Amino acid sequence: MTSFVELLLSGITSGLIIGLAGLSVTLVFGIARFSNAATGDTMTLGAYGALMGTSLTGSLLAGGLIGLVAGALSAILAYLLVFRPLQNRSPISSLLASIGVAFFIRAVLGLVFGHDQMVFQMDLVRPFRLLGVRIQPNDLKFAGVAILTLALVFVVLHLTPIGRRMRAVADNPLLARVSGIAPRAVMFTLWAIAGAVAAVAGILLGMKTVVSPESGWDMLLPAFAAAVLGGIGHPVGAVLAGVIIGVAQELATPFVGFTYKIAISFLVLLLVLLVRPRGLFGKIEGVR
Amino acid sequence: MDAYLIAIGTIAGIYLLLALGLNLQFGLTGLINFGHVGFFCVGAYTSAILSTKGVPIPLSLAAAAALAMLAAWPLGIISIRLREDYFAIVTLGFSEVVRLVVTSEGWLTNGVQGIAGIPRIFRAGGGEAQAVLMLGLTLAFCLISIVAMMRIVRSPFGRMIEAIRDNEEAVRSLGKEPARFKMQVLLLGSMLAGISGALYAHYIGYISPDQFIPFVTFQVWMAIIMGGVGRISGTIAGVLILMFFLEGSRFLRDVAPFIPEVSMASIRLGVIGLALILFTIYRPQGLMGDFTKR
Repeated sequence: MTSFVELLLSGITSGLIIGLAGLSVTLVFGIARFSNAATGDTMTLGAYGALMGTSLTGSLLAGGLIGLVAGALSAILAYLLVFRPLQNRSPISSLLASIGVAFFIRAVLGLVFGHDQMVFQMDLVRPFRLLGVRIQPNDLKFAGVAILTLALVFVVLHLTPIGRRMRAVADNPLLARVSGIAPRAVMFTLWAIAGAVAAVAGILLGMKTVVSPESGWDMLLPAFAAAVLGGIGHPVGAVLAGVIIGVAQELATPFVGFTYKIAISFLVLLLVLLVRPRGLFGKIEGVR
Repeated sequence: MDAYLIAIGTIAGIYLLLALGLNLQFGLTGLINFGHVGFFCVGAYTSAILSTKGVPIPLSLAAAAALAMLAAWPLGIISIRLREDYFAIVTLGFSEVVRLVVTSEGWLTNGVQGIAGIPRIFRAGGGEAQAVLMLGLTLAFCLISIVAMMRIVRSPFGRMIEAIRDNEEAVRSLGKEPARFKMQVLLLGSMLAGISGALYAHYIGYISPDQFIPFVTFQVWMAIIMGGVGRISGTIAGVLILMFFLEGSRFLRDVAPFIPEVSMASIRLGVIGLALILFTIYRPQGLMGDFTKR
């Protein structure tokens, strides 16, 4: 029983990370209307940015903020150079180009930092017990950061004027346009948020495990699965779905082994598409 | 004939089979298959495992084609009716899961160490005769596929799949069910990938999971996009460009040995990525494509 609870807690933490990545996918999908395969490698970029920032400033917090800014800037740059020229073409063009962006980011990271795994220098903290359940204080911190990030995104989306405009564009781009909402500010904000959220996910993943040029790409499938399960374009759904997938992965590990973790998210993806293609909270239109 | 040219020709033929399958799926029908390497991998491992266990090679080749199709079938059932980018994500996930399976099921696939000593298809004669025969067999498969593609393009089936690519709603309103045709195209393309994988396994003689990464899929994508989507001549041209690039990057290592192999891998990845971006933005019709369309 206690080991079940421990797996559950660990699953919630990794699920929040998946949820952040899924949130980035789903935001881009809702507003820019394509599946962004560069999300995983933006995560990696954020993690390397944070590693560099940490060794420069000596503080994990400052390093993390540098990684976050790096992720946001790279996403804005990708928008300006790649996705904006493609915005009036089929979403397939943008999807294909986003694979190109993903490969390019990974290639640059591989050339600059090499292919050896890197780790964040973090203090080792002894786990403590609560009612017999072993709790990793670091996991709690990661979950806290993830929840704080999510809260910030939802504050921006629901309590600020630019957030209201973003939701209007997501809801109906033409109606938003004729209502006088300029797409430019909306798109810049979208890409900044999507890049920053992906970067935070990458940094947390890097702190929880290791950082290598491939680590973000491997998160792409769970991130997509979370976005689809949550109902693509639905931010709250993506986060909840991420937690569900994270918990499912951890709980399945004793049965299927560590290597098949990613296969769990594929299974979830197939099941959702088979049973309920619009996801938990998705709108009915536009899926089939 | 120069042994080097024979080797390049064989590899080019293997890539061409992959590219012809993808061109049928994406170029003619509009299916976004991001997991082509998964079917290639299924074909390679099927034929490698069966033939090392003593099954005759013609049978193991047929099994490779059949198993690749069998793997594609459930994917098609689940995702072919859904939006096109869902199909892309599902196939990408499929290829990653295939790689996971061949990595972890060591009892069957020998795990990360891979399968060595896969028997060659032609065992008689000297090394050069074997190589020429292998090249001939690969090119024969390519030729059959090319002729089949050309007939498909001119057939009612070909007009139907091109109509599906151009306007699925219109096809549906005429009372035809696009999903059926898409499924057939998916299976045909997977069969080509399976055969290509089997030829690859027997030609190289050694396969391991790290040869079947998504990068392979997108090399093929780059080839068909560069050459010109939907055109057979474009597919051939694209594969030639891809081979030129891959071999050129090998020569670059000979000229500049101070570049470590891992950096070279990163450079290849970056160039393919950049090519995907630039071609999608500036020349989506490819080098050989229709100049008037965009």
